[in-house]
Amino acid sequence: MGVAKKVLLAPMDPVHDIGLKMIRRGLEEAGHTTWLYPPGYSPQEIINGIIENQADTVLISRTLGYGVEEVLARFVDLLDAAGLRDRVKTAVGGMAIRPELAAELGFDGGFGPGTTVEEAVAFVEGRDYIPAGRAGGKQRYELVGDYSYEFKNTAIRSLLGRITAQILAWAGERTSPGIERAYLRRQMLACAKEGGNCASLKKDYARLCDGVIRGYYETGGLHPQTRKLEAGELSALRRYVEQTKAKMDPAALRHTRQKPGVFVQYGTGCPSLDVAHIKIAEAWGADGVVHFDPSWGARAEGFMEGYLTHQEDGSVITPENLSIIREALQDSTLWQVRAHRGLNTPETVLLAAHTGADLTKINIAYGSLGAGTDPERMTVDGVQAIRFAAEYGLPFDVVTNEELSGVPAHKAFAGMLIVADLAISLGARPILQPLFCNSPEVMINGYMADNYVDFNAAKILALRNIVSAPVWPGAPIGFLTQTEERVQSSMSTGLHAALAASLGVEAISIASSDEAYSGGPIAAASRTDTLQAVKEAFRFFGQATILPTPTASKWAQALEAGIEQVLYSVAEMGDFVQAVHNGLLGGREEGAYPGRVGRGTVRRV
Amino acid sequence: MAEGLDQIADALDIETFVIAEDEAEAIKAIRQIMTGMGLKDIDVVYCRHLGPGARIRARGYIFRAGDRYGWLGEGK
Repeated sequence: MGVAKKVLLAPMDPVHDIGLKMIRRGLEEAGHTTWLYPPGYSPQEIINGIIENQADTVLISRTLGYGVEEVLARFVDLLDAAGLRDRVKTAVGGMAIRPELAAELGFDGGFGPGTTVEEAVAFVEGRDYIPAGRAGGKQRYELVGDYSYEFKNTAIRSLLGRITAQILAWAGERTSPGIERAYLRRQMLACAKEGGNCASLKKDYARLCDGVIRGYYETGGLHPQTRKLEAGELSALRRYVEQTKAKMDPAALRHTRQKPGVFVQYGTGCPSLDVAHIKIAEAWGADGVVHFDPSWGARAEGFMEGYLTHQEDGSVITPENLSIIREALQDSTLWQVRAHRGLNTPETVLLAAHTGADLTKINIAYGSLGAGTDPERMTVDGVQAIRFAAEYGLPFDVVTNEELSGVPAHKAFAGMLIVADLAISLGARPILQPLFCNSPEVMINGYMADNYVDFNAAKILALRNIVSAPVWPGAPIGFLTQTEERVQSSMSTGLHAALAASLGVEAISIASSDEAYSGGPIAAASRTDTLQAVKEAFRFFGQATILPTPTASKWAQALEAGIEQVLYSVAEMGDFVQAVHNGLLGGREEGAYPGRVGRGTVRRV
Repeated sequence: MAEGLDQIADALDIETFVIAEDEAEAIKAIRQIMTGMGLKDIDVVYCRHLGPGARIRARGYIFRAGDRYGWLGEGK
């Protein structure tokens, strides 16, 4: 601190003075002399107080909005009339104050809602305010944590061992166009890096693609819903990124807990709008972002190339699109590129790794049952995708979105654990992704008739009883609890985030407040709503925990027993692909249908 | 008054995200938008600027306390 100041604090308001009381304490702790007037003093009485005490600074507060301009203008007039304007530093703050209003009225400082004590003290001392903990910039969130991947449930460990051995032996004798393309892509990337002529590789690649994608390589034609971004658009985007990065100072979402990291999904269809949404999410505190590709991308063999924008949900995966999004990210932002469900799974993992992604997403069971890919193809491709994830050191989550189709949690979890065990055996780092959702199973059985806590908590308890592995509920948390009404939607997300924090999970994926709106793309403002709600939820609970009822433990035991039973059936069948077809991991009566896309494309090697 | 506005109980809020250099630029933009819509009694309820822009809620009062409220159907 420099010279001690003499500060008069006056609430120009009938009742409210809590803000000034807090600031007074901060000023006195910093060694300044203060006088705090009670509410209800007139402007003239405050002027008299400045003169009597020879104050050099006056801080006025005003909470009520009615007549604020008139009252403050009168105060400034009296200040001028008393000849104090030049020697007394003035500021006004409070709920009714905006900085521009304060400036218009002639105050030296104006502080609106959310002003901190430190900020006010900095003003009095005449120095720049640097928010605590933000001066060093945001740090990357450490997601995977220190987990042993040891199975605590030995029966489940043994069953998974049998299933994994069977899948690896089976997949080891097979390949697919998706795998062949991935290896070609690797060569193409190396060729491009060396500046070589890659035409023959592209020709080979095109031969393994569907008609529309092949057409891109042969004639330059594009998928009907896509167009190329023009040079002017790209240079404007790069300029925007550069300018925005220069003023980024991401907010912190977590309060006193270290976990969970918070992820948001993007996939507006257009890389430029994706970048806009990503920068907003980053600024509002997101720790990571998830690339959401179009559903047709999972059903088409092969990827196009170039900077492509798309007029519907989901942003097209091309090497260039991924690169320009990667360029836009803050260094502190974790980036996940999903690869979990379609005909390009191995190549997506490869591209993600080459572009600098931190995470990917793979699930053979969900891809086969909830996303329409043929189980045989999905298994062969999934194993290769996991091999790439291990090779490139790319952790991945194993999502269980088949629950949304109606598959009971214990079956979805059995599928998740099979993929997780495959990953562990291949040296990869899987992250378990149970849904926090009001799924069809939950609705039918009334598991959330009383609360949204117990069944979600049961899932985490069950997984923790089974294996030491990171858990990342998603995707997004609160699925099917949110409505189109943004306050309800944001609050539901915030409360689910609080539950996740209370359960000590590693990360969460959250929705926007447009989650339940299906009439068009997500709007940017709705991104900030849920991030703000999550921040408030973390602030509200701090280190306090949410206590599930005893039912959660009972359901956790039932889930664990159910998972073991499913895995026993799969192991006994001795044929994972057939087990998927037979509905052991989710049957037709539960809304899960083995996919047909890519059927007949697997061949023996 | 634009058709339909007299059915609004008291105020019309517009919430959006404005790409802007700072809070003042965002407020200026939203005021211009609301003025262009023919709203006169305008205030900015909430504005928070971070990074690329500002989350903002602006309000155009159609009726304040003591006004004659169109939705009462007086004289119809």
